[in-house]
Amino acid sequence: MRIKLTSLMVDDQSKALRFYTEVLGFTKKHDIPVGEYRWITVTGDDRDDLELALEPNANPAGKAFQEAMFAQGIPIAAFEVGDIQAEFARLTSHGVAFTREPTSAGPVTLALFSDTCGNLIQLYQPTR
Amino acid sequence: MLLRHEGFRRLCRARDLLRRAAAESREPSPTIEQLAREVRISPFHFIRQFEAVFGVTPHQFRIASRIELAKQLLARGEHSVTDVCMEIGFSSLGTFSTLFAQRVGESPSAYRRRIRPLVAVRDRGASRLTPGCLSLMGALPSSAFCSVRLQADGTKSAKAGHHVRSG
Repeated sequence: MRIKLTSLMVDDQSKALRFYTEVLGFTKKHDIPVGEYRWITVTGDDRDDLELALEPNANPAGKAFQEAMFAQGIPIAAFEVGDIQAEFARLTSHGVAFTREPTSAGPVTLALFSDTCGNLIQLYQPTR
Repeated sequence: MLLRHEGFRRLCRARDLLRRAAAESREPSPTIEQLAREVRISPFHFIRQFEAVFGVTPHQFRIASRIELAKQLLARGEHSVTDVCMEIGFSSLGTFSTLFAQRVGESPSAYRRRIRPLVAVRDRGASRLTPGCLSLMGALPSSAFCSVRLQADGTKSAKAGHHVRSG
C-alpha cells in the first residue's frame, strides 16, 4: 500500500486547472472527460508519480464542508516549498490573495492563500 | 495581496449574501455597490479582492449562482423552463436560455431532458450527478492509472496500470 493519489475539491475544474498549473506551477498529468465532469490530476515538479486530483465539488455535502472550512480559515491541503519568502513574493505578484503572510511557527514557517476555487492552501517551509 | 482576518471574513460574508440573493431571486438583487457597502469595503477594492479570493468577480459569481440554482430546479423536473427562468429572477426567456447555454454547454430544455433520467433512477444517477469523490475512477480508462517510475538503475519501468473501483 502506498500513497500515490490525493485530491481536493474545486468549485470549477477549468479554473482550477489554470490556477494549479499556470499560477502554482504544477504540471497537468491527466484530463479525461467523465460525464459532466473531468478527471484532472496534476503533479509537482519533483515527482511525476504523485498525483493531486482536482475534483468537482458538485456534491452538496462536499460544498458545505468546503465552504465551512474556508470561512473558518482552515487550510485543506499543505504544500512544502524550499523558499517560502520567494514563493510568497512570486504568488503575490500573480495576484494570489494570502490570508497569512509567511509566519514562523517553531519547526516550520507557514503561509496561507486562497486557491480561487474555494480552498485555503497552506505553504510551509521546514526551519533548518 | 494580503488580507487580514476581518477583510477575509467580510468577503466570505459577501459570498453568502450573493448566494442568498440568488436563492431569493424574487426580490430585487442588491447591486455590487450595495453589497460592498454592506460588507464595508469600497466598491473598487471589493471587486478586486473578491476576484483574488474566489477567482471570479461578484457579478460573475452571482450569475454562476443563479445558473446553478436553475440546474437544480431543472433536474427536479417539477417546473417548466419558463417557470425556472422566472424563479431565478430572469424576465426574458431568451436571455436566460442564451446565458444558460453559454455556461452549461446546452440549452435548458436539453439539459433537463438529459439529466432527468439520471435523477429519476435513484442510486444510479447520484454518483454521476454529484461525483465529488474518487468513485469517478471507476469510469476512467486504464491509461489514467499508468505510472512511470524511475527504477534504481535509471531506466523507466513499464506501465503498471491497475483499477480501483470504489471511491
